[in-house]
Amino acid sequence: MRDLCRSAVDAAVGAGASYADARAVVRRSQGVSTKNGRVENVSDLESEGIGVRVLVDGAWGFAGDRRLDADGARDAALRACAFARAAAGRGEKSLAPLEATSGTYRTPVEIDPFAVSLGDKVALCLRAEEALRHADVKVTEAFVRALREHKFLFTSDGAEIEQELVETGAGIDALAVSDGGFQIRSYPSAHGGSSSQAGWEYVEGLGLEREAPRVGEQAAALLRAEVCPPGVTTVVIDAEQMELQVHESVGHPIELDRVYGSEASYAGTSFLKPTDLGSLRYGSEKMNVTADSTTPGGLGTFAFDDEGVPARREPIVVEGVLRNFLTSRETAERIGTGAGGSMRADGWNRMPLIRMTNLHLDPGEGTFDDLLADVDDGIYLETNKSWSIDDKRLNFQFGTQIAWEIKNGKLGRMLRDATYTGITPQFWGSLDAVAGPEAWHMQGLTNCGKGQPGQGAHVSHGASPCRFRNVQVGVKA
Amino acid sequence: MSTDVREVAGLALDAAKGDDALAIVLSERSGLARFASSEVHQPTLIENCSVMLQIVRDGKIGTASTNRLDAEALKELAHRAGDAADAAVAEEGFPGLAPPTPLPEVEGWDDAVAGIGPEDQARRARAAIDASSVELFGFFTSGATELAISSTAGVDAYQGMTDETTLVVAAGEGESGYASRTTWAEDGMDPAAVGREASEKAQRTRNAKSLEPAPYRAVLEPYAFADLITYFSFDAFGANGLLEGRSYLAGRIGEKIVDEKVSIADDALDPRGLPKRFDFEGVPKQRVELIENGVANGVVWDRTSAARAGEGHESTGHAPPPVYRQYGPLAFGISVAGGEVDTVDELCELVGDGIYVTRLHYLGIVDPREGVITGMTRDGTFRIRDGKVAEPLVNLRFTVSVPQMLADVPGLSRETTLVNTSDFYGDRYPTGALVPALATARFNITGVGSEPGL
Repeated sequence: MRDLCRSAVDAAVGAGASYADARAVVRRSQGVSTKNGRVENVSDLESEGIGVRVLVDGAWGFAGDRRLDADGARDAALRACAFARAAAGRGEKSLAPLEATSGTYRTPVEIDPFAVSLGDKVALCLRAEEALRHADVKVTEAFVRALREHKFLFTSDGAEIEQELVETGAGIDALAVSDGGFQIRSYPSAHGGSSSQAGWEYVEGLGLEREAPRVGEQAAALLRAEVCPPGVTTVVIDAEQMELQVHESVGHPIELDRVYGSEASYAGTSFLKPTDLGSLRYGSEKMNVTADSTTPGGLGTFAFDDEGVPARREPIVVEGVLRNFLTSRETAERIGTGAGGSMRADGWNRMPLIRMTNLHLDPGEGTFDDLLADVDDGIYLETNKSWSIDDKRLNFQFGTQIAWEIKNGKLGRMLRDATYTGITPQFWGSLDAVAGPEAWHMQGLTNCGKGQPGQGAHVSHGASPCRFRNVQVGVKA
Repeated sequence: MSTDVREVAGLALDAAKGDDALAIVLSERSGLARFASSEVHQPTLIENCSVMLQIVRDGKIGTASTNRLDAEALKELAHRAGDAADAAVAEEGFPGLAPPTPLPEVEGWDDAVAGIGPEDQARRARAAIDASSVELFGFFTSGATELAISSTAGVDAYQGMTDETTLVVAAGEGESGYASRTTWAEDGMDPAAVGREASEKAQRTRNAKSLEPAPYRAVLEPYAFADLITYFSFDAFGANGLLEGRSYLAGRIGEKIVDEKVSIADDALDPRGLPKRFDFEGVPKQRVELIENGVANGVVWDRTSAARAGEGHESTGHAPPPVYRQYGPLAFGISVAGGEVDTVDELCELVGDGIYVTRLHYLGIVDPREGVITGMTRDGTFRIRDGKVAEPLVNLRFTVSVPQMLADVPGLSRETTLVNTSDFYGDRYPTGALVPALATARFNITGVGSEPGL
């Protein structure tokens, strides 16, 4: 792979590129899913190829070719250069400097997920599903996944990097149905469970079978629960939903390519401006957010990003004030601070884009019960069900799978169909407590979309349960 | 580089000799010139060909894929697919591989589109940019996709598909407008016209006003209506949604559920759309009436869901690729019948007092059973007063029950527009929805966002 990448970069430079990088990627994934005791999918997929990115006369070009051989490398390089010439821009692009470096990195794993047989994976899903069953649960689902991505990056300014990233994940869903009613409960997270850069030990540690009876019972109980009433109230939000809140209302707005308009035609822009750095009040003083591409187990963990920039941990929001953006080498140079470090591509045939790595809401202090204790009348919200946010990441509306009323500091009756809505800075400004490190945990999601052509990204977020005052809940159609 | 997808499918079946097997080979040659601030910044060329092999052993099903096409790789592919099948549990009532069936002839391939190269892709992007007096963000893309499906049961299906899309947002501080065009045929595309449409729209959005959240009468352009009906279809129009009770149509088949002016079909055969001959089981595509004159008529099926449902159901040619089998068949060829109104201006007259919506953003399904969807308007939201488009509005949050929105429809445009619905994730497989502009008596605004533009 190294020689192929080098030859591609040499071909691009020989064709006039002032900068070139080549990534050779071999990706293998396994997936198992079962539904209602039937095996729906057992698959073992692989894809490989080389992607070459070039700068020619100040214009970017990119081409991906499935052939991991000399012809594929050369053709991709020459096609990328030809496209760059055809799409000439307004002039030179500058990249933040990068020290010539070489390195290797492998995700530490205890149990290679590909050494666990597909039969064992099927058996785990079927056992977990069995434990989900309940008279009112019409659909039970379980799924596990494993991914190994081996990639080599060679750049014309001296980076030579080989990395092997391994992910595993799993989840269960229970769908309860009655006349006119439909409810869902999930574990450990909604929309595809949760994943981690780790071995099979991560899936074993989730305890799907242990949690399944509670998940099934709650799905059924929701059919008989009252609807969350509308109003403006205090809300306590569980760590999992907070992780999505961080993703949508902090993670995407701080992507500097969005701030500069590069995503305007699809994912959108950002309410943040470059000049907000160091001064914009994002939220209350309880709000501290950190980007950390070194977090053990995070789906956004690596030694180097797809531009060859070393991983690091940096504060994004400190006591409510914006301190950093997520950057590429190009946008870091443009804003005049930072060095990049957030560029990732979805496989060999997509250009790297600024993507969240691992973005965490730092823990505060106290326990979940402490959060509840200071609420006379409010709502506790748990596990995402629906999500939507505007193109500038200001106006959001989220729904959760389950909720409970809070009365005099204690959880009361269960509520269904809960939603809450807000405007990003005002909402984070109403944050008045974040639970402590004991309540902090991390989830990995695999469905973050961005770019044209579309690219999926795998990112992790950690958070503790939080309390917000004066939040609108119970939006109705 | 050119790959004979039928030959690869045959070689994959040979590698699986001794097993019941289905080979799906998809090749892609595409280019996408993406631009921002009127400058191409992310131009992407893709060459790929992947083969997916499904093996069935004693009713146990396993799937593997690769994009290495040499003999050794295909042998490994068969081995991995066989291992996957061995790991599965035999499925009671599994209908087996589809028998060969005559396939319909469809349009959907244009040599001129297939021949569009990087220089032309960049030139077309430039044509859209040059036609706009406002900075432009978006892309031009074209691609040629070939799909071959062969099976040991005798299926031997092939289709070539071309597609091209120009999609743009014209935007500056406090202004933005949207336009897009999708077609499989070269003569259906004018990037400059798309750029102009967005630019003109953007300039009308300056000094946008706020609006009190409440239910409003509304006109939805095809872009907005296509987005809503596509999201609604995920749960409502697939057999699994019906069988599992997620679908709004569950328990309502045969009932009048929306205005009688509304008829919705899935029609992959329509040459005005992005035509398809067969599904991923190799079963011929059929036109399926989903809602007919306001009455819930049915959903789309694949062989597995039809077998599980029994009661005479048969596949309508809507099987997904094997790795998405758990989601069941989905309606990716939505076609909403046009109405009797000639222009969007006339739809505004029917609405009288309300709002005008160009495009939506980031939809979320709040309640699949009731068809409740939330999202934001974007890139061209206006007040309608006295039957005419009036002042621009800020972006608005809506939370609507799609059936409620369609319960009282003052009118639909006669003309329908093909709207791209694929976003080009993963392997290229072009999909789109054919929809008219819509006038509705109820579009529920539940929040207010920011002004349009950057």
